Amino acid sequence: MLQLLVGQTLNGVIVGTLYGIIALGVTLTFGITGIVNFALGEFMMIGAYVTWYMFDIAGLPYPLAILPAVAIAAGCGFAADQLLFRFTRNNLINGLLVSIGLISIIEAAALVLWTTTPKDMGYVLSGAFRLGAVSLPKMKIVVFALLAAVMFLTYAALSRTWMGRAAYAFSQNPEAAMLMGVRTEILQSGVVVYSTALAGFGGALYASLYSLEPAMGGLYILKGVEAAILGGIGSLIGSVAGGIILGVTEAVGSIYLPGAFRDAYGLVFVVAILLYQPAGLFGTER
Amino acid sequence: MLLEVIELTKRFGGLTALSDVSFAIGTGEIVGIFGPNGSGKTTLLNLITGILAPSAGRILWKSTEIQGQSPHVIAAAGVVKTFQNPQLFLELSIYDNVAIASHLRLRRQYGLRRLAELLPWRDAARHSEVMQRVDRILALCRLDSVRERTAAGLSYGQEKMLGVAMAMMCEPDLLLLDEPASGLGEDEIRTLEEVLRDLRGAATTLCVIDHKVDFLARVADRAIALQQGLMIAQGAPAEVLHHPRVIEAYLGRHHARA
Amino acid sequence: MKLLLWVPFFIFPALVQSNFILTIFIFSFILAIAAVSFNLIFGFTGQLSMFHAAAFGIAAYTTSLTVSIFQVSFWVALLPAICFTIVLSLVIGSICFKFKLRAFYFAVVTLAFSELARLVILNWNNVTNGTLGLMVLDKPSVWLPVGGMVKIDGAVGWYFFSLAALIFTVALCSLVLRSWIGRCFAAIRLNEDLAQTLGIDIFRYKLLSFTLANALAAIAGSLYAFYTGYIEPNYLSINQSLDIISMVLLGGRSSIIGPIAGAFVLTGLPHMIDLSGETRAMLYGLVLILTILIMPQGVIGTLATWRRAA
Repeated sequence: MLQLLVGQTLNGVIVGTLYGIIALGVTLTFGITGIVNFALGEFMMIGAYVTWYMFDIAGLPYPLAILPAVAIAAGCGFAADQLLFRFTRNNLINGLLVSIGLISIIEAAALVLWTTTPKDMGYVLSGAFRLGAVSLPKMKIVVFALLAAVMFLTYAALSRTWMGRAAYAFSQNPEAAMLMGVRTEILQSGVVVYSTALAGFGGALYASLYSLEPAMGGLYILKGVEAAILGGIGSLIGSVAGGIILGVTEAVGSIYLPGAFRDAYGLVFVVAILLYQPAGLFGTER
Repeated sequence: MLLEVIELTKRFGGLTALSDVSFAIGTGEIVGIFGPNGSGKTTLLNLITGILAPSAGRILWKSTEIQGQSPHVIAAAGVVKTFQNPQLFLELSIYDNVAIASHLRLRRQYGLRRLAELLPWRDAARHSEVMQRVDRILALCRLDSVRERTAAGLSYGQEKMLGVAMAMMCEPDLLLLDEPASGLGEDEIRTLEEVLRDLRGAATTLCVIDHKVDFLARVADRAIALQQGLMIAQGAPAEVLHHPRVIEAYLGRHHARA
Repeated sequence: MKLLLWVPFFIFPALVQSNFILTIFIFSFILAIAAVSFNLIFGFTGQLSMFHAAAFGIAAYTTSLTVSIFQVSFWVALLPAICFTIVLSLVIGSICFKFKLRAFYFAVVTLAFSELARLVILNWNNVTNGTLGLMVLDKPSVWLPVGGMVKIDGAVGWYFFSLAALIFTVALCSLVLRSWIGRCFAAIRLNEDLAQTLGIDIFRYKLLSFTLANALAAIAGSLYAFYTGYIEPNYLSINQSLDIISMVLLGGRSSIIGPIAGAFVLTGLPHMIDLSGETRAMLYGLVLILTILIMPQGVIGTLATWRRAA
C-alpha cells in the first residue's frame, strides 16, 4: 500500500509540473496583460505534435526535435498576440472569448492535420529507476528535471534581472512603469509569446510520455487555470506549487475514490479555495 | 439624535485609520467634517454607510445599531452617500440614472405589492409620477437644462450634482456628501451651497465631508475636525477653525496661537 | 410596433414546404430560448455564467427521466425539472454571490459546477446511461380547440410549438427587463458600488437573474431533448455553453431579441453550407473572434447604432 502511495505521489508530482508550466503561463499572462489566455493548452498541443513529427517522422534526435516545437509554438503565439490579444489588453471577458475562438480554430486545424487517432511517439529514453518496489520511468524524471529547471530559471530571471523587475513594476502600476521608460507593448507581447513558448515546451515533453490527440489542450488548460488559481494568480511560486498540489491530489485521490472523478477533485479544490482564500495559497490579489 | 457615532475605531492591519471617534448629528442639522488628507474622513464615511465594518465602537441610527450592516440595508434605512469621484451609470441618460435611484422609493411605497408593478400598464401609470419627482429633483440640483443628455456628456461639476440628485431620489433622512466641493470652481461652489441649503429646507439632514474649510464654514451649522484618525475639535465652525490644534494640523505648529 | 416582427414567422410554414428548412427553424427557436435567457444574466446583468449549458442539460435529463420512470406527461415532468434547476441555481448562485466573486472567478466557479454536473451525469450509468445517452421516445401533447389533445409530432407541429415557447420566453424577459427589476440588473452591470449605495440588494438581484436565466434554459433543454429524441452528457459540455455565448455575442447583447438573430445564424448557416465538422468549427471560432474585435455590439446592436446615426 505504501509503495502505491509513494508511486502515485511521485507520478502526481511529475504531472503536477506539467500543470505548473501551463499555470506559470497563465499567471504571467494575467499579471502583465490582464487576461487569461485559454488557448495556452492549444499551444501545448502544437508543441507536442511538432515534436512528434520531428522525432518520429523527420527522425531528428529528441533534443533537436524540441527546438522547432518551441519555436513554432512561440511563433503562433506571436501571431495570436499581434492579431488578437493586442486588442484585448486588460479586458478579461473579451480576452477570454477571443482565446476560446482561437481554441476552436487551432483544434479544428489539428483535427484536419492529424485526425483523432492518437499518436504515440517512440521511446526517447527507456528503462526505469527502482526505489524499493516503486518503479519510476527514467524519462519521467528527465521531464520533471527539465520542467523544474525552466520554471526555476523563469523565476530567477524575473526576480533578478532588470527585465524581470520591469515586468513586476508594470504589473503593480502600469502607468508609472510606462513613465519610467518600460516599453510596455514589447513587455506585454513578450510575455504572451513567452508563455506560449513555455506551453510549447511542456507539450514537447508531454509527447515523450503520453499519446497525443487534438483534444489534449482543453484538458491541460483547465488544469493550468485551476493550478494557477490554487496557488494564487499573480504568484510565480504559487503556480508551480499549485500545479504540484493539484497533480498529487488527483493521483493520490484516485487511489481511494473512483478514477472517473479524478478531474472533479481539482474543480472542488478550486471552488473551495476561491471561496475561502480568494488570493490563493501564495497569491497577492491583483 | 438622528445619528450617533460612539467610540468608533478602524484598523487596517497595523494602521489605525480612525481612533475612538464620537459625535452625534441631530435632525435638520448641517454638520461639516473636515481634516487634511489621511485624517480618516473617508473611512468614517465608509463605516457609517456600511462599506466597512468597524474594529470597535458603535453607530446608532435612530437608536438602532447599524455598524457592519450591508450598504443597501443602511441605504434603505435612510442613510445615503455621494461619492467623491462621481459614480454614475455612464451608458444611460440622466433620466435613467435618476430613475434607477427611485428604486428605494418604490420599495417603500409598495413593499411586496411591487411585484404587481411588473404588469406593463401599472408601470406606465407610475411613469408620470416618477417623471414628476425626477423633474423636481433635477430642478433642485440645477440640472434641468441638461436632462436629455447621457451621463457621459456632463461636466465634472454637473456629474457631482447628478450624484447628489440620485442620492436625493432615495429620499434619505441623512445625506452624506463626500468632498462635494473638490474640483469645483468658485461659481459651482456657490451653486452647491445654495443646493445644500435647499436640501435642508426640504427636510434632509446633511453631513458634509470636505477639506475646503472656508466652504464648510459657510455651509455648516456645526463642525467636527479630524486629524490622523482622531477628533480634535467639535463645535460651531468659527470656534473650531480658531481652535489651536486645528490650526496646528492645517498650518503647522508655528502658526498655532495660544 | 415590434410585435409585427413576429407575424412573418406565423405565415412562414405555409410558404415553405421543405421539412429541412422547418427543422432548422425549430432548432433555432429552441436554441434562441437558451440564448435569450442567457442574455438575462450576461448581457443585462453583466455576469458571465458558464452554467447555462448545465441548466439546459440537467433539465433535459430530469424531464426525460421523470417521463420514463414515472410515466407522466411532458408537462407534468417539466415541473420537477424546472424546480430542480431553480434549486440548483439558488444554491450555486448563493455560494457565488455571497462570497462576492469577481467576474473571472464567477465564470470559473460556474464552469467548475457545470463540469461537475457533466461528470456526474457521465458516470451515473444506472440512471443516465453514461456516454451512450438516453433515448426519449415520448412526445408532448397540447390541447387545441380543434381536435382536443394532439401529440406534437412532425415538423409543422414542432415549428409552432417551439415558436410559442420562444414567444413566451421573450414576453417574460420583456416584462422583467422593462420593469424596475430590469433597471436593477442594469445598475448592477454598470456600477455595482453605486447600485448598493442606492439601496439595491446586489445579492438578491444577481441571484434572481441567474435563477430566472437557468429556469428558462431548463425549458429550452427539455424541448430540445423531446424534439431530437435523444440526450447525452455533451449537452452540458463547455462547448455547448460557448455555442450559446457566441449566439448572444453575434446577435447582440444589449437587446432582448438580438440573441435570436445569433441563434438563427449559428444554427442555420452550418446546415445551409455543407461543410465538414472541422471547417465548421474553424469558421465558428473565426465568427466569435471577429464579433468580439469588430462588432462588439453584435449584428442587431450594430444595426441599431447605424439606424440612430442615420
